[in-house]
Amino acid sequence: MNLKNLIIFIFSIGSFFAIWEIYYWIFINNPFILAPPSRVIPTFYDLLAGNIQGFYMPLDAIYSLYHYFLGFTVAVAVGFSVGLIAGWYKRVERFLYPIIELIRPIPPIAWIPISILLLKLTHTAAAFIIFIGSVFPILLNTIYGVSSIEKKYIEAALTLGATKTKDIFIKVIIPASMPAFLTGLRVGSGVAWMCVVAAELFGVSHYGLGYKIELGRLYHSPDIVISYMLAIGIVGLFLDRIYRTLEASIVKWRRGYLIE
Amino acid sequence: MSENFLTIVNLSKWYGNGNIHVLDNINLDVFRGEFVSLLGPSGCGKTTLLRIIAGLEKQDKGEVRLKGEQIVGPGQDRVMVFQDYALFPWRTVLGNILFGLEVRKIKKEEALKIAQNYIKLVNLEGFENSYPHELSGGMKQRVALARALVCDPEILLMDEPLAALDAQTRNMMQSELVRIWSATKKTIIYVTHSIEEAVYLSDRVIIFTPRPAKVKKIVKVDIPRPRDRFSREFVELRAKIYEQLH
Repeated sequence: MNLKNLIIFIFSIGSFFAIWEIYYWIFINNPFILAPPSRVIPTFYDLLAGNIQGFYMPLDAIYSLYHYFLGFTVAVAVGFSVGLIAGWYKRVERFLYPIIELIRPIPPIAWIPISILLLKLTHTAAAFIIFIGSVFPILLNTIYGVSSIEKKYIEAALTLGATKTKDIFIKVIIPASMPAFLTGLRVGSGVAWMCVVAAELFGVSHYGLGYKIELGRLYHSPDIVISYMLAIGIVGLFLDRIYRTLEASIVKWRRGYLIE
Repeated sequence: MSENFLTIVNLSKWYGNGNIHVLDNINLDVFRGEFVSLLGPSGCGKTTLLRIIAGLEKQDKGEVRLKGEQIVGPGQDRVMVFQDYALFPWRTVLGNILFGLEVRKIKKEEALKIAQNYIKLVNLEGFENSYPHELSGGMKQRVALARALVCDPEILLMDEPLAALDAQTRNMMQSELVRIWSATKKTIIYVTHSIEEAVYLSDRVIIFTPRPAKVKKIVKVDIPRPRDRFSREFVELRAKIYEQLH
């Protein structure tokens, strides 16, 4: 980031905070309904430092990330492996398609009651919601990635002696579908992170960024609520950055195809 | 002598539920070490014939035998080089060339040594770590050639490999191909629709009729190499083949 961009960045955030601050003092001016940045920022610091009884933000972030990874890794494993098979074997795809299309439009939040009934108020229940939310982008992108592989690559591999299905999968299908899979991974991660908050709001565990938002509301402390909202945004941004970096390093062979 | 190399017997093929007749009773022998061109009008079925020899497609009638053994599927003894190169974009030049050795489970060290030899043969030194999208058309075709040659095939099947190149690069690649062919002593079956290319490269030119493809005539090219495209005999042979084609 050069100096000019840095100035724009600071100005952008600064004006957002300024409008928010002014809006609060003119129209709200009630600490039980909303908090201005001048109150959120100190609260945010106190939450990070553990100065507020019953709230310790780093621990909550760790719990939320735990829920996220628990659900998301299963979604990646299932989405990628089923996607490879369904993308390659058209019959499997045709079989799965109606099921996918039936379940996919159901919002992950709608699964929360069933998840709690089945799995009780556990970390697994949270992970299940996250799994439901993130498995479809990964699955569908992987299927798309595999089924859009150009036939010439398969034929080239065959004529060069890769006659075993295993070789074709490992040496052609997986690398060729990597860009689409990684897009699915990034989109899926975004959905997964949103689902973390939704799942925790329902109290599946007593720690977590989402749970503490709800707790903050019960305490009538909008400064705590907003601090945790910001934390969710910051961690989400960080996760997205990780996947973008991963994407750029794995598919560097594709650089020439992208118009930037 | 043909009996123990490539023999094509009564080969026929139809497409689209038998509506489109592509190959009509093809009989052809190709000798070891020979450079044979398949020449014919576009869409006549010469590529289909090549793909059947490669094992990428199945014939409806007849058979293809290599050294007495019937061809049933693709294999490293008949490697195909495609018109649009079909290099793996996710692999570097070296990675592409190593492909055929990896699937044969050859030890990394030895594979690298073999690959290096062919990189030298096709003049690609210094580009080992480039990705295909960074290369020109001519260089891509060199990679494709090296990638095929490391498999040490009995026959190299080339499907209009130079058609996408500009005229100057194409001429240069043609002489490169002759050089590489004499260095490796491979049998090459080469599909083209350019008469000049066929005459420049081949020992024999197989002329096909329009679809369904039948062998119309086989022309032997006795001009010694390196061939001069403007020599009298070259031009005369071109004219003779032109007449056959039209």
